[in-house]
Amino acid sequence: MRYLLIAVLILMAGCAKERQEGVITLKVWETYNAEERPVFLSLVKEFEKQHPGIKIEAVNIPFDGLEPKILTALATNTAPDIGRVDVAFLPKLAIRGALHALDTLGIERIKPQLRPVALRSCLIDGKTYGVPDQVNGLCLFYNKQLFAEAGLDPDRPPATWDEFVEYGKRLTSKEKGIFGFGMKNSLWWTLPFIYSFGGDILTPDGSECALSSDEAIAGFQFKVDLYMKYGIEGGAWRSGGIRDDMGFQSRVYAMIFNGPWAVKGLERSGIDFGVGLIPSGPKGYATNVGGNNLVVFSTSRYPREACEFLIFIASKESQVKWANTLGQVPVNMLADDLIDFGKHPYLKTFMEQMKYAKPRPPIASYPEIENEVNPEMQAALDGKKSVSEAMESACKKVNAILAEEEALKASLSK
Amino acid sequence: MRKATHIIRSLRVALLYAALTLAALIVLFPFIWMLVTAFKQPGTEFSPEILPSTPTLENFKRVFTEFGFIRYFFNSTVVAVSAGFLATLFASLAAYAFAFKSFVLKEKMFGLIIASMMVPGLMYVVPQFAIVNKLGWMNTFRAMIVPHLANVFGLFLLRQFMTTIPKSLIDAAKIDGANDFQIYGRIVVPLSLPIIATLFLLTFQFHWSNFLWQLIVTNKENLYTVPVGLAMFKQQHEELYTLKMAASAVSIVPISLIFIFAQRYFIEGITRGALKE
Repeated sequence: MRYLLIAVLILMAGCAKERQEGVITLKVWETYNAEERPVFLSLVKEFEKQHPGIKIEAVNIPFDGLEPKILTALATNTAPDIGRVDVAFLPKLAIRGALHALDTLGIERIKPQLRPVALRSCLIDGKTYGVPDQVNGLCLFYNKQLFAEAGLDPDRPPATWDEFVEYGKRLTSKEKGIFGFGMKNSLWWTLPFIYSFGGDILTPDGSECALSSDEAIAGFQFKVDLYMKYGIEGGAWRSGGIRDDMGFQSRVYAMIFNGPWAVKGLERSGIDFGVGLIPSGPKGYATNVGGNNLVVFSTSRYPREACEFLIFIASKESQVKWANTLGQVPVNMLADDLIDFGKHPYLKTFMEQMKYAKPRPPIASYPEIENEVNPEMQAALDGKKSVSEAMESACKKVNAILAEEEALKASLSK
Repeated sequence: MRKATHIIRSLRVALLYAALTLAALIVLFPFIWMLVTAFKQPGTEFSPEILPSTPTLENFKRVFTEFGFIRYFFNSTVVAVSAGFLATLFASLAAYAFAFKSFVLKEKMFGLIIASMMVPGLMYVVPQFAIVNKLGWMNTFRAMIVPHLANVFGLFLLRQFMTTIPKSLIDAAKIDGANDFQIYGRIVVPLSLPIIATLFLLTFQFHWSNFLWQLIVTNKENLYTVPVGLAMFKQQHEELYTLKMAASAVSIVPISLIFIFAQRYFIEGITRGALKE
């Protein structure tokens, strides 16, 4: 009897300990900004309530410090369970085997609900390496006051590129120091031009650079013309020029490209602005895709639980809360009908624009491609090269990068 | 004749002052911009006005209440003061040995140590991180302080200075029966104080503004230092300039204070020159 009692006691003690150990902690490195962070933490609380066995330990990392921190951690096997990474960083991690493929961990449950342009950035060679938690694309921001002063309807942004040029000419006033448009020089920021003229970065099979195609050249030529031929762009892309977003705030540029992230700051600055679709070109409306994905690192001991958390963040309920609190495009399409557009007037345009968005090819060397293409485009904008010359030589470099990536992939898969 | 040279001289001085004022303004411009922006309303940082029309202390308040900068300042102070003090202490001890003692392979060892300065510091990051991690030092002040205590540049700087101290002074102390620690503490350190103060200032400043290392050895926000905290204001798409400038304005206060304090030693160092042979 006494032995039985002791045995029961030991067993009970064992169970109690077991339950204590049963609580697992998932470490998350994230880069949410000051406004997003509280919403994320409230979602974390909700998740912990629903999953008593899982604790989430979230660390906020400065955006610029994330990449070196992750790479150092990977080199020493100290990566967290979950990370929030830019869409352009994910392929680099995935092809090096740093990420857990989520396909057998329950991701199928939510995949059909996710916005395809967002999900695309998580798919590498047929496997799913993450769950999008934020998706956005560029839209046209315009200064309503300057529109009114130029005699334009402040509620009707230009719909086509022809109209855009026409508006730009009326808005540009050298005496007042106002330009119709301010733009950046970088491949990502040029994609709306290239796409709307029917061009692309790579050929459809992803094997070769397509930036020197007639369509891509036409798109980029139009961008160059805005500065050189029509004179409606104020040289915001030049080093030492007034940057587009700064110039928009100080009423130097009447129109710029920008994304949902800019709304809060512009509202604070007291500028009377509107948001419209980027004007359509010969191939219709178009924009680019940016954003962030949540990933599970391959060193995680709890991939299934980590994946569960990712699914929770991308769920309809979480995304409704996310979109309605922050005014961002939900990654889950089931949330679309539950959005409070009264509170976020611009969100409708952002979501409309996402219908015409085209993701970048999911290649690991996208940042390297930018590094090679941007100086070539700069040379064309400066007038040192013709657009076709610049794109030809950019393509040569891009093809070399692609070949390098293929070779790297081949050596990694061995 | 005398009058003419006088005019030329004052013209020269005026020109010199004009050039220096211009240069000072150029140097000071970022600081002025920082200070002015720190008092601007968020969202108006790039408005054309130079002085804010409605200055606010809100940025400073938010930096310390919402963004945990009290804690970051505490962490940075602990790290920079202890690392600065220890690195200077070790460098001065080693410099003493290399300047006044003789031992086997002294010159060769010194050369080897100096040669290590040629290796870019970034190369050490991953191996150092691996060691710190193996030692179980992640998320500790030790991890932020210890790996940078061996300061080769400091050793070089102090040794070069110490070799200018008259040998006869050291010999005199030896004859009076002073041991190495007494010579080090009573003669060499007081005479080298200006250069030691300079080295302390340099190492303090290095640790105060070190970003990458402090970032990768901490995975807890309450251990972040000021530079890591400052980086938080640059978000993916947006930079919170008014907050960043408010925090930056506060972050330069300790360095300025130390500089003002250490400046006394620089001036003292010049008068001490009388002692040299």
